[in-house]
Amino acid sequence: MTTKPKSTLLRLWHGPLTQDLVLHPGEFGLGQVPARLKPDGTTTVVCGFCSTGCGLNAHVKNGEAINLSADASYPVNLGMACPKGWEALTPLTAPDRGTTPLLRDAGGQPRPVDWHDAMTEFCSRMKATQARHGAHSIAFLGTGQICTEEMALLGCLFKFGMGALHCDSNTRQCMATSHVAYKQSFGYDAPPFTYADFEESDTLIFIGSNPCIAHPIMWQRVLRNKKSPTIIVVDPRKTETAMAATRHYAIQPKSDLTLLYGIAHLLLENDWIDRAFIEKSTTHFEEFARFARQWSPDKVAAETGLSVADLHDFAAAIHNGKAVSFWWTMGVNQSHESTRAAQAIINLALMTGNIGRPGTGANSITGQCNAMGSRLYANISGLIGGHDFKNPLHRAKVSATLGVPDEAIPTEPSWAYDQIVDGIRDGTIKGLWVIATNSSHSWIHQDAFNEILGKLDFLVVQDMYPTTETARRADLFLPAAGWGEKEGTFINSERRFGLVKKIRRAPGIALSDFSICKLVAEYWGCGEMFARWSSPEAAFQLIKELSKNQPSDITGIADYEHLDRAGGIQWPLAAPTESPPQERRLFADGKFYHADGKARFLFDPPRPMPEPPDAGFPFVLLTGRGTSSQWHTGSRTDKSDVLRQLSPANIYVEINPRDARRLRIAPNRLVRVRSRRGELTATAFITPQVQPGQVFIPMHYAETNKLTFAVFDPHSRQPSYKACAVQIQPLK
Amino acid sequence: MSAPAQDNHRTLIDELLAEQRNLTAVERFSQKHEREATPAQARFYRDLIPLTLPKVGQQYAFEVDLDKCTGCKACVSACHSMNGLDDGETWRDVGLLFSDNWRAPQQQNITTACHHCVEPGCLEGCPVLAYDKDPVTGIVRHLDDQCIGCQYCVMKCPYDVPKYSARRGIVRKCDMCSERLAVGEAPACAQACPNEAIRIAIVETSVVRGAFSEKPGDAARFLPATPDPGYTLPTTRYKSARPLPADLLAGDHARLTPADAHPPLVFLLVLSQLAVGASVAAAFAPQPKGLALIAAFAGALSLGVASLHLGKPLKAWRAFLGWRRSWFSREVIVLGAFVSLAALAAATPWFAPLARLQRPLTIAAAAAGLLGVACSAMIYADTRRAFWSASQCFGRFFGTTLALGTAATLATMGPFSPWLAALLLIASLGKLALENRIFLHLVDQDSLTLTTLNKSARLLTDALGLAARVRVAFGVFGGAVLPAFFLAGHAGSAAWVAPLALCLLGDLLERYLFFAAVAPVNMPGGVAS
Repeated sequence: MTTKPKSTLLRLWHGPLTQDLVLHPGEFGLGQVPARLKPDGTTTVVCGFCSTGCGLNAHVKNGEAINLSADASYPVNLGMACPKGWEALTPLTAPDRGTTPLLRDAGGQPRPVDWHDAMTEFCSRMKATQARHGAHSIAFLGTGQICTEEMALLGCLFKFGMGALHCDSNTRQCMATSHVAYKQSFGYDAPPFTYADFEESDTLIFIGSNPCIAHPIMWQRVLRNKKSPTIIVVDPRKTETAMAATRHYAIQPKSDLTLLYGIAHLLLENDWIDRAFIEKSTTHFEEFARFARQWSPDKVAAETGLSVADLHDFAAAIHNGKAVSFWWTMGVNQSHESTRAAQAIINLALMTGNIGRPGTGANSITGQCNAMGSRLYANISGLIGGHDFKNPLHRAKVSATLGVPDEAIPTEPSWAYDQIVDGIRDGTIKGLWVIATNSSHSWIHQDAFNEILGKLDFLVVQDMYPTTETARRADLFLPAAGWGEKEGTFINSERRFGLVKKIRRAPGIALSDFSICKLVAEYWGCGEMFARWSSPEAAFQLIKELSKNQPSDITGIADYEHLDRAGGIQWPLAAPTESPPQERRLFADGKFYHADGKARFLFDPPRPMPEPPDAGFPFVLLTGRGTSSQWHTGSRTDKSDVLRQLSPANIYVEINPRDARRLRIAPNRLVRVRSRRGELTATAFITPQVQPGQVFIPMHYAETNKLTFAVFDPHSRQPSYKACAVQIQPLK
Repeated sequence: MSAPAQDNHRTLIDELLAEQRNLTAVERFSQKHEREATPAQARFYRDLIPLTLPKVGQQYAFEVDLDKCTGCKACVSACHSMNGLDDGETWRDVGLLFSDNWRAPQQQNITTACHHCVEPGCLEGCPVLAYDKDPVTGIVRHLDDQCIGCQYCVMKCPYDVPKYSARRGIVRKCDMCSERLAVGEAPACAQACPNEAIRIAIVETSVVRGAFSEKPGDAARFLPATPDPGYTLPTTRYKSARPLPADLLAGDHARLTPADAHPPLVFLLVLSQLAVGASVAAAFAPQPKGLALIAAFAGALSLGVASLHLGKPLKAWRAFLGWRRSWFSREVIVLGAFVSLAALAAATPWFAPLARLQRPLTIAAAAAGLLGVACSAMIYADTRRAFWSASQCFGRFFGTTLALGTAATLATMGPFSPWLAALLLIASLGKLALENRIFLHLVDQDSLTLTTLNKSARLLTDALGLAARVRVAFGVFGGAVLPAFFLAGHAGSAAWVAPLALCLLGDLLERYLFFAAVAPVNMPGGVAS
């Protein structure tokens, strides 16, 4: 092996600088670790970035994490993590962490205050707003980034304790579509798959999804597939995933719904459908079949930009597959007709019987680490625990389980994010509480959003950093403990509850979102109502009780230790089981959650892109994930030097070489990109990854949403980030 | 609010804050691998490392399956964390190759670290033998405590592998996790790649040599858009079922950022060349005293300033160790000798016993100095950067020696010599012509692809344009206009300091641009913005 001689006067093989890099057996199954970072214990924590829900192995010394690595035995990630996971501890020690509440003084300067003053101010001003403008004049914008227990407490406190109604979460920006699509199609928001399906499919179809970059650990599972699967990618861009696919169909932006109906048409025409399954397990098929007949290959080819032969090949691939799985992400969800597009995918799975078996399914890959927790337990669009605000039986169950007076539970759902924004604009919302999201950066048509913040009487931002674009505008900033500084659960894309543990101390007097909500309850005067929510784990027990007899029943999970021992547990688990199988999928029995036990075919004619390119704004702007090292608005990932090095430092725009030549744009030159709403300056990256007539800008840069066009899917009210019209000019 | 209620609130705040600080995760939850000896990760990487040591004529090498590298960059982060590197320090990188043909979109992520070359440029250039190529494994290791922080390896490596840490004052680099390999564990990057794209293979060094050094010039055989592998014989093997077209571009192919100007090196080179020029003149001059003083003073100053360049100047005394291979060592030895001889030569007028040695010392100093300038030129020529071609390095460095030596002579000698003025004029204009040859490589603003020389020319017009124009102005005025003016008989000898001052300033700027305008050679980078 490598030799290491003794030092001599002339040649120093050893010394203090060499010592800094010396490795040492880490024990605890870790292999070699840096000697100065040798832990005295390890513990598994679920990652707090995306919905993959990887297990990270925290290297702990004196109770505090000093390093981490990917957990070799966690069933999700099998010893791997993406760079964000590896760097998960770094954002916790950023110099700009919020360490104390900050209250804007009379001169407009944020001044440190203690929690007593912060809470007094919070409650008195929120209550004053309600007194002046009505109980529903305060709203919150929450997140898919905090623990299930925290979002449950927040939603219950706000609606049952504070008497408010309107609240939403940033999951509206990523997952609302899947939520609504599943609910309408299956009768419950139930992603049917388990990650083993990536390995068990013989045909994988990714639509508007770039897992190589957005979900690298799911792509790992695809590469573990031993069946040499056919991989089809539908995406206007030649993404990393498109490069790795067997076939890439580069459709025109927002022609996905047309394409999917066209494929349904060909499946019907060739009788490549599973009549027995359709008969037994679905309704509304005949209407759908009649509807789909309109989408002839010629028509679909013209609209999508694909050839008729491509369409036939696509349909034949579905037919030839024994286990076909369909996967979609934001390319589908962020659209003006996203719910129907997601359901068009579900329809393909239903009509070909590709659901409920290993390697099949119409599978939505979620975005945030706890988007799934938000969908079930945030008490926002649905009553907590997958219930319905309008259903008196559901209200009675929640009332009894939580000990909340029945009349405290609203009978109507809240406004969606965009409706809350409209409410601020027209003066009906006057107090806003923003929790762990960065709306000033991420909300569509950003300038309009930031303009109306001035109309609020009171803006509270609760975040790890007082430096986010949104927190900088706050009247009151509440410092929150981050991932790894608190306890709770996340639910990942495959319905797996995973455990977040406290392995770091929060800076200053920052508190977990759970504790902040407890404090608000106390100061608001409704502390008694939440006495049973004594700790996150106590809250977990309440959540369990709420899940009873729901499709997402988890009453079989004992407690946090059970989750930890089992390597996370997928819902449902109704019967107590010490070691449930680690990969479980839904609908094996062909029974769905509608009252008739059947899934529904849902469809509508496609509608044209709301802002198509024209002579003045001739390009379609696509937005999306830039690199695997960037997370959303970068409030955490930008804090890591390593992650920053792994992504382009400044905003750039991908332009096709043909367009660049025509507009005389040279590589790396600055260009101005302008939409009807705003403009930005970006570096040109000239690449045929985007098609002529299209440009792409990653969403992580603060300026990107100056351009986007605020239209929403009518069912899910999810913003359509992925298509608006822009013009481009080279700058001198 | 009533007082008891306030107290209750205060108590709750205190309780919550205390709870927030209480860390019990390890005690509360079981540890699955309590005191376990075998790494739990081993089952994933067992097949990614060789079972045997390399035999004679073989070495370890990274093997990258490009079909599996999809740009997740976990390898970079894992290397950082598992090796406990400093904030922002990375030994691996992931770049991009892509096609600019709009009909055939293609992109390929490239993970890259040290190539543990058969003939490592870093090792060849290191003046203190701080690099070692392990005789058994072939791993190129860096001896952190031996390093003096001269950063010559950073210039010598065509793949930008050694990374200098200003905080530590040394360079560090990938050692293929040799301590892990020694105990049968895979390197961090190989352990962490979700797609098993990185493994350690055993390669025959003769095969690497045969592939790259016998047919030089075709970089694509190693990887498109990379430097000629014939220079250092990199051992990393990039494989793909779909061979990459040779005309792919690097993600950062159009990046135009001035390089580090290394101010201490600028002063070292220009002052030492002034000193050598003065010393040569002294060897010919009838009254060498002033010139000898200039030579000694400028020479000593140049070495003093140069030490500011080093991260660990106190260890620099070992810089002679690499004399067998390193032009840096040779420069240190020869310029060291030159300054000593020049100092002795300058001291002779004050030490009677030495007086008869004045002439031989002066000649010896001049000879050593000229050799030293040649060593300086070779330092840069040996980095194989197009902008630092041998003709440019030798032309500029000896041009400075000649011009500043002549200007110094004119400034110190008594009677005016038209021959010297003419020599200064010719030397200055010749040197300016040589420097400005780079603008032959200036191409249209719309050009889609740029060679390294195109980039240097563009940098000297755009980002460095002002400095480049001022440099020409100093050179023309001090080296041509003033001498011509004096040749026409318009000035007395007192004004002869002006050309020296202007030419000196001009050459300092020239040398600043020499460093700042060199376009990097590197592995493909990511999108530059």
